[in-house]
Amino acid sequence: MTTAGLHCEQLSRRVGDRLLLDGLSLSVAPGESLALLGPSGCGKTTTLRLLAGLDPVSGGRIRLDGEDVTHSPAGERQVAMVFQSYALYPHLSVLANLELGLEVRRVPAPERRRRIAEVLALLQLEGLERRRPAQLSGGQRQRVALARALLRQPRLMLLDEPMSNLDAQLRDQLRPELRALLHRAGHPVIHVTHDQQEAMGLADRIAVLEGGVLQQVGTPQELYHRPANLFVARFLGRPGINLLAGEAGVQLAIRPEQLRLVESGGLPARLLRREWQGSQQLLWLDTSRGELLLLAAADLTPGEQLQVTWKPEDELRFSSASGERLA
Amino acid sequence: MAILLLLPALALVAGVFLWPLLRYGWLSLQASSVLTGLVPVPNGGANWQRLLADGRFWQDAAQTLRFAGLSLALELLLGLALALLLHRPLPRRGLVRAVVLLPWALPTTVMALGWRWILNDPFGPLNGLLQSLGLPAYGFLSQPATTWLFTVLADVWKTTPFVALLLLAGLQAIPSELEEALRLEGAGPWQRLRRLTLPLLAPYLLLAALFRLAQALGVFDLIQVLTGSGPASSTESLALYAYLNAMRFLDFGYAATLMLGMFAVVLGLSALVLLAQALRRRLAEMAP
Amino acid sequence: MRSAARGAMPTALPLLAALTWSLLPLLWQLLTSLRTPEALVLQGPSAWLQGWTLANYRQVLQGDPPFWRYLFNSCLVGAASTGLTLLLAIPAAYGLQRQRPALRGGISLLLLAAAMFPYVLLFLALLELARALSWGNQLLALALPYAGLSLPLAVLLLRAAFADLPAELEDAARLEGLNLWQRLHRVLLPLLAPAIASTAILVFLFSWNEYPIALTWISRNDLLTLPVAMARIAGSSVYAVPYGAFAAATVLGGLPLLALVLVFQRQIVSGLTQGAVKG
Repeated sequence: MTTAGLHCEQLSRRVGDRLLLDGLSLSVAPGESLALLGPSGCGKTTTLRLLAGLDPVSGGRIRLDGEDVTHSPAGERQVAMVFQSYALYPHLSVLANLELGLEVRRVPAPERRRRIAEVLALLQLEGLERRRPAQLSGGQRQRVALARALLRQPRLMLLDEPMSNLDAQLRDQLRPELRALLHRAGHPVIHVTHDQQEAMGLADRIAVLEGGVLQQVGTPQELYHRPANLFVARFLGRPGINLLAGEAGVQLAIRPEQLRLVESGGLPARLLRREWQGSQQLLWLDTSRGELLLLAAADLTPGEQLQVTWKPEDELRFSSASGERLA
Repeated sequence: MAILLLLPALALVAGVFLWPLLRYGWLSLQASSVLTGLVPVPNGGANWQRLLADGRFWQDAAQTLRFAGLSLALELLLGLALALLLHRPLPRRGLVRAVVLLPWALPTTVMALGWRWILNDPFGPLNGLLQSLGLPAYGFLSQPATTWLFTVLADVWKTTPFVALLLLAGLQAIPSELEEALRLEGAGPWQRLRRLTLPLLAPYLLLAALFRLAQALGVFDLIQVLTGSGPASSTESLALYAYLNAMRFLDFGYAATLMLGMFAVVLGLSALVLLAQALRRRLAEMAP
Repeated sequence: MRSAARGAMPTALPLLAALTWSLLPLLWQLLTSLRTPEALVLQGPSAWLQGWTLANYRQVLQGDPPFWRYLFNSCLVGAASTGLTLLLAIPAAYGLQRQRPALRGGISLLLLAAAMFPYVLLFLALLELARALSWGNQLLALALPYAGLSLPLAVLLLRAAFADLPAELEDAARLEGLNLWQRLHRVLLPLLAPAIASTAILVFLFSWNEYPIALTWISRNDLLTLPVAMARIAGSSVYAVPYGAFAAATVLGGLPLLALVLVFQRQIVSGLTQGAVKG
């Protein structure tokens, strides 16, 4: 096992009698980007705060580049974070926002200026140095927050819902830029999101959390095609996965795009509703094995009798009792 | 760590508020006056027995209650009216608020002196007004039956702005959509006040009432300067009686007992207000 | 246009009434202060043509000690009390905001009760303390009880202001390695400036106006604060009518506050209303 990057083992956080995070173990290599994905309250922000040192851990260990930082104060970990609100100091100019941290860490003035000029150029923020945060657009604020984090020369970069304060169009435009930038910077990156599209767009690997427990870590493809359990299968993918009754004790699931309409030999189905989505239609089918969703290009009208089929190897099989995927 | 930051302030607050009460508790069980050479000598419950039998204490308690009750009622009523007025869009809003706030900001003793002149018999402007109407001059500050009403007037003049500002905060916390929604349903101004504004203002009214009640029961500066407790002690308050015992009669043991007696009155009445409020809420919840 | 005019009507009259009610007693003091003693007792409209004078102001300002001395004393006590209160209240408010909700609620409730307490009750025990410590007739010593009495409200106001700041701001500063003092000094306090100004002005007003403690702690004529000096003027001659001089004193005593209220109206209002919202 290499020591570079982040390694955490059995990380837990308990507040009162509530277990917010239960035995999380994760590694992130330098230059790798990991997304923590899950519904609200799943423990993803808790994880971020533990890694940053903003909240005390109740159990487990955190190592950064081989150094145990489990109980180090936040300011001494060399961890940087881009907050959801960006947390720019509203009373300071962009320049002063960037300079404050360097100043308290006693970086000499000429070096401060050089490093700030560097990140300003990298993030195309030149000309905005004198502005206050309130005078910046959402995208500019995000870049200032990122610049401040980069100036920290972090051993670990954390991003808390970095896109949630931007409108949808800007998000699509900035996602690839941010991804390229983070890759170039070369730190281990963890970013928290509840948006699977953002997770898949920004991250090399995704960790799905639910109820304070890690469900699965893997590449987006792994998670999508070989989910470890029913929760992961249902959480990923829009439109959501279809659930079908299987033999006793087994829950079958199949992705909507893996269903096909056929002329004959399929499962008989009646079209209940449809939703036009541009290139495709989303169809709700009533079958003897339950209601199924599928995507099709054909133009159909409700009430039509159809037949639907799929490849058996595309079926996902889960234990009805535990929700774990069966081999 | 964070508690360390709190401690210096809490220590000073305890020294100023808690220590006197503990000290009074001890002192009220001592004879400590000129008769004992100002040396405390335990005297059992003698001070408390004296308090219970002290006609002047009960007289002053009644006078203080009378003063506080009327002041509170008028201040809440006028304060509400003033708050509703200040809540409307007004020209030169800042200046208006500053002017309205002025009586509250001036030292009580300064304006008490002013009121003494305004109420002067026969040369004050109020008597001048009476006389220009052909009426005889009135001894505003020399009639034992009515003088207390003018102490109330001076108190209401001074503290209504404070109540109004507290209530204004409450009014500003009510989203204007609520009022607009009710207006769309056809409710008139009076109905909107009764059905929406007053219920939502209740916590602020309660806070203002508690605050003003406690302060009015402790009335001291105003009466000392405006009437000097007179005429014939008819405006003497509990605080003035305690002050008299401490500073004029030098009877510290009894003065401490009086302070605690007054504290009990304040505590009891505040509890009563809170209880009434809780009861009202309970009844409102039970109503269909 | 018509509806605007109709809407304005019900406001104009009450507004006029409110302003008159607030100002008339003050204006009367101003008027009285400019009249000779003879003119004050004259009747009838002709009286207004004569008897105007500045002699009352001369008398008050040339008294022994001169009146400005009381203003100076009050300013000194007010400034010292305000400084001491803020010095203690700012860290306390920060510390309180960092407590567990249950403890924070409990302490806040106690502070609220203390802020409402009729503090006149306390003067005897505080006087004993002052005597024991030889703090009588020491102007600056007054700052201690004044700070103690102001702290409950000050801590509550500032605690509410700390609570209003986004928690992420301080988290960001912690991650950048700022220690507690740097976080307060560089990030939090500049953002709290309006709340600190509101609190300071309320504490100053309280100290300026406080009566029973100043009355019992200070006996030397040249050390009196303004409210005590005014009461002493009143007590010195209950039956005489040097009201012109009284009125000049009330005008002079009221002017600094008039200026204060006009300049800091916004801070006073927000201080009082914040207290209500968060209390």
